[in-house]
Amino acid sequence: MTAAETKAETKAESKAEAAEVLISVRGVVKTYERGGETLRVLDGLDLDVKKGAFEALMGPSGSGKSTLLNLIAGLDRPTAGTITVGGKRIDELGESALAKWRGDTIGFVFQSFNLLPVLTALENVTLPLLLTRVAAKEREARATTALRIVGLEDRLHHYPRQLSGGQEQRVAIARAIVNDPALIVADEPTGDLDRKSAEDVLSLLERLNKQLGKTIVMVTHDPAAAERASIVRRLDKGQLQ
Amino acid sequence: MTLLGLAARNVLRNKVRATLTVLGVAISVLTFVLLRTVVGAWTAAADFAVKDRVVTRHKVTFVMTLPRRYVDDVRNAPHIRAATWANWFGGKDPKHESEFFATLAGDSKTFFTVYDDMKVDKETLERFQQDPQGAIVGDVLAKKMGWKAGDKVLLASSIYAKEGDWEFRIAGTYTATQKSVDRSTFVFHWTYLNDGVSIPGLKDQVGWIVSRVDDPSQAATIGVTLDKLFDDKEVQTLSQDERSFNSSFLASVSAILTAFDIISVVILAIMALLLGNTIAMGVRERTTEYGVLKAIGFRNGHIVLFIVGESTFVGLLGGLVGVLASYPIVERGLGRFLEENMGAFFPFFRINPLAALFAFVLALMLGATAAAIPALTASRLRPIEALRRVA
Amino acid sequence: MMIPLRYNLRSLAVRKTTTFATAFGIALVVFVLASALMLSAGVRKTMRTSGHPDVAIVMRKGSDNELSSTVESASINVIAAAPGAKASTPDLPSSSPELVIVAAIEKLGASGVTNVQLRGVPEHGMRFRPEMRIIAGRAPAPGQDEVMIGARLRGRFRGLDLGQSFEIRKNRQARVVGVFEAGGTSHDSEVWMDLDLLRTSFSRQGYVSSVRVRLSSPAAFDAFRAAIEGEKRFGFMALREAEFYEKQSEGTSIFISAIGSIVSVFFAIGAMIGAMITMYGAVANRQREIGTLRAIGFSRRAILLSFLLESTSLALIGGAVGVAGAMAMGFVKISMMNFQSWSEMVFTFDPTPQVILTAFTFAASMGLLGGFLPAIRAARTSPVEAMRGG
Repeated sequence: MTAAETKAETKAESKAEAAEVLISVRGVVKTYERGGETLRVLDGLDLDVKKGAFEALMGPSGSGKSTLLNLIAGLDRPTAGTITVGGKRIDELGESALAKWRGDTIGFVFQSFNLLPVLTALENVTLPLLLTRVAAKEREARATTALRIVGLEDRLHHYPRQLSGGQEQRVAIARAIVNDPALIVADEPTGDLDRKSAEDVLSLLERLNKQLGKTIVMVTHDPAAAERASIVRRLDKGQLQ
Repeated sequence: MTLLGLAARNVLRNKVRATLTVLGVAISVLTFVLLRTVVGAWTAAADFAVKDRVVTRHKVTFVMTLPRRYVDDVRNAPHIRAATWANWFGGKDPKHESEFFATLAGDSKTFFTVYDDMKVDKETLERFQQDPQGAIVGDVLAKKMGWKAGDKVLLASSIYAKEGDWEFRIAGTYTATQKSVDRSTFVFHWTYLNDGVSIPGLKDQVGWIVSRVDDPSQAATIGVTLDKLFDDKEVQTLSQDERSFNSSFLASVSAILTAFDIISVVILAIMALLLGNTIAMGVRERTTEYGVLKAIGFRNGHIVLFIVGESTFVGLLGGLVGVLASYPIVERGLGRFLEENMGAFFPFFRINPLAALFAFVLALMLGATAAAIPALTASRLRPIEALRRVA
Repeated sequence: MMIPLRYNLRSLAVRKTTTFATAFGIALVVFVLASALMLSAGVRKTMRTSGHPDVAIVMRKGSDNELSSTVESASINVIAAAPGAKASTPDLPSSSPELVIVAAIEKLGASGVTNVQLRGVPEHGMRFRPEMRIIAGRAPAPGQDEVMIGARLRGRFRGLDLGQSFEIRKNRQARVVGVFEAGGTSHDSEVWMDLDLLRTSFSRQGYVSSVRVRLSSPAAFDAFRAAIEGEKRFGFMALREAEFYEKQSEGTSIFISAIGSIVSVFFAIGAMIGAMITMYGAVANRQREIGTLRAIGFSRRAILLSFLLESTSLALIGGAVGVAGAMAMGFVKISMMNFQSWSEMVFTFDPTPQVILTAFTFAASMGLLGGFLPAIRAARTSPVEAMRGG
């Protein structure tokens, strides 16, 4: 990061600090019952993620980093506390409203890619658009664009089993950005990849952040991956360090 | 690509399982159609009854006879256009004891006028009427027994015993104007029977009287008027329109019809179990995928639609294959065999298109309902649980 | 070295839904087959118990049943006195001339009428059959329009229950004054009355349908028959009562077994496919387990056998449920047309050991056949699978 950039960022921050915060987590507690025992995974956690940030969450197993990510992405609900994303209290949304919100707001990247094996790359990317009113032709055009962005324009009609792990993860990233979400969440996106593919995927995420201004929150335990993020946060025992 | 397209693709994912399930559903549909066809064949006689015919029989029993002179009383009654009569002869070819066919002693002048759905050409009828021992047989029966016009045929009767056998000459054959008419009946002169009867009590007796009325809508009322004629005579009668008469026999096969209904329901249960099992297995294997779909914003309803769509698609394929297979198997194979060899029991063994359509719709609907439980279970899974269940 | 059966049984228990769906499908098939065979056995049993070894029945030659036979009254004494016939005692009369007619009576719970057998017997007709006893009411009084009915008829037909009546001819109501039991024989589905009442009601004076004759011993039958059938002038035939009833049950019993078997075969294909799907699923889900078993030294044959045992156990569980369901049919009596006698008879389901054995064999075959291809796939699993993830 150059000095000029840092300066510009600082300036913008001071101009409209509150408006720039995309995610605001306040006093979040998450407990699980397991075998009659209550596990306190998150314990009164506060966190702000600014719009356009690329943040990495790190921490040992069981530190609560994945739980935090799930809460931010609206996959799970906090036991206590509030989560606001883009000015919306998502901890208050009902099951179906939350699903719709996820479809509109979040792009998901999983460790094991989770592409549907019966669909081609293009069809996998089209999937989130089926929930919108976008016309079929337009859906295909957008999905093709997304795949071009991830550098797979020559693999549109391949099935997941015909792709390498790195390519599969790039298709998953294309799927995550196709409906232009406000936030991309990535859970160990390089966990199942070799070094070289991991580098490619991380460069892609970086490019999405820098060039397209996507806000990204990524859980990882790979220091090399965390290095690409603009902010690295560490969790331990349900608290930010 | 649409959601239902995706559902269809999931079906074809496990080809062995999909093929087996479709096959299982198809066989269930085929069996269902077959059973409904058997039931239909039994009830066909009532369904295809001629509307302007009234049957008069002994009031208390089918097996007892009426005096011959009752026929004239019926003929003179109002609204009666024509009347004839017949006796059940209980005939058997002593050389082919196991072949069952109906043998009737009828009035040679009027029988084929009243039963005009048994079609006889003019020359055959004349030849029959001129020969006191003449007989007209159904074309299906003639073919099966190898009888030709002019052949001498010997029959034994289980009712009208005689020294030696009864001897007949085939005058020709009749065909049917309606599919439901039994083409395996043997008809001969009532006078030949009456002259040959040795037991005095069986002389000048007729089994039943059949008349044609001028107003079919009044058939029931006319029947009541006929019965009044004989109210004070030595034997009372019961007259019914042909439909009621034919369907009154259905009570005697009611147990079989009930059994077939139960078995039909059992088939549906087997089909539902088959479909439900297949879908449940597929859903369990794909739990993670449903988790992904939910994560990227698909709602519970989408997931249900998705799984139900998958199951309905299997039901559709199975139903289609089953119905398509049932036509050649039931109609060409079994139906033809039954009509030719057991025509007396199954003169009309054909699929009712409505039954086939019903079977197809049932396969579809069972496809949809069998998926209900797996679909609900899958849709209620929270996305993070579903995602965690990596196989 | 064999894989313990416990492994398979636990695997079945783990996959509850699938095991239930498959076993229940097989249970339904076995239920249908076992019920049909039990009913068929029930028909035969009813008819078999109806025949006495030492009784002969004389009918018109060529008759299929008593209904179509006519025997002139004048011949009765000659028949009763034929060689081989036992001498009459007051307690055990030696012959019984009887008239059989069927009446069309409304069947309750079904639309329309069906044939119920009416039997006119001489005054000593009941004593001729020592197994008969009255369980309700009393015997009909001679000269009155009174009848008694077999216990199995009760509550199934309009007018046929104690205290009710039905029209036997114009303005003559026959009143049911008694209910009898005849040891599960076909008489239990008959209406009995005085021979003369039945004759006058249907203008059958001078005739009966058949004459039953008690023989001095079962072995005396041949001499008796020779005497009856030797007299060509009569045109009669003599049958052992047991043989007669055997023939009366043949058509219906064969019909029921045939329909039941045909339907079951169709069903079995469906259920077998269900078992196949389930077992293919089981094999696919347990690739790693099977690989591990192979890796630690179990042979292909042991794996094959293990999966065959699993599918057979699955089918036998279903078979047991199906047979249990069919056994419950033992409480049901079913009223249906007996083709040979052309009359309605009430039959029970008879769970003979042979029927139960057939049902279980049938279930096991479904399991074996359905499990065969999946078991082969399991046996082909490579030990390398043990090393693969997920």
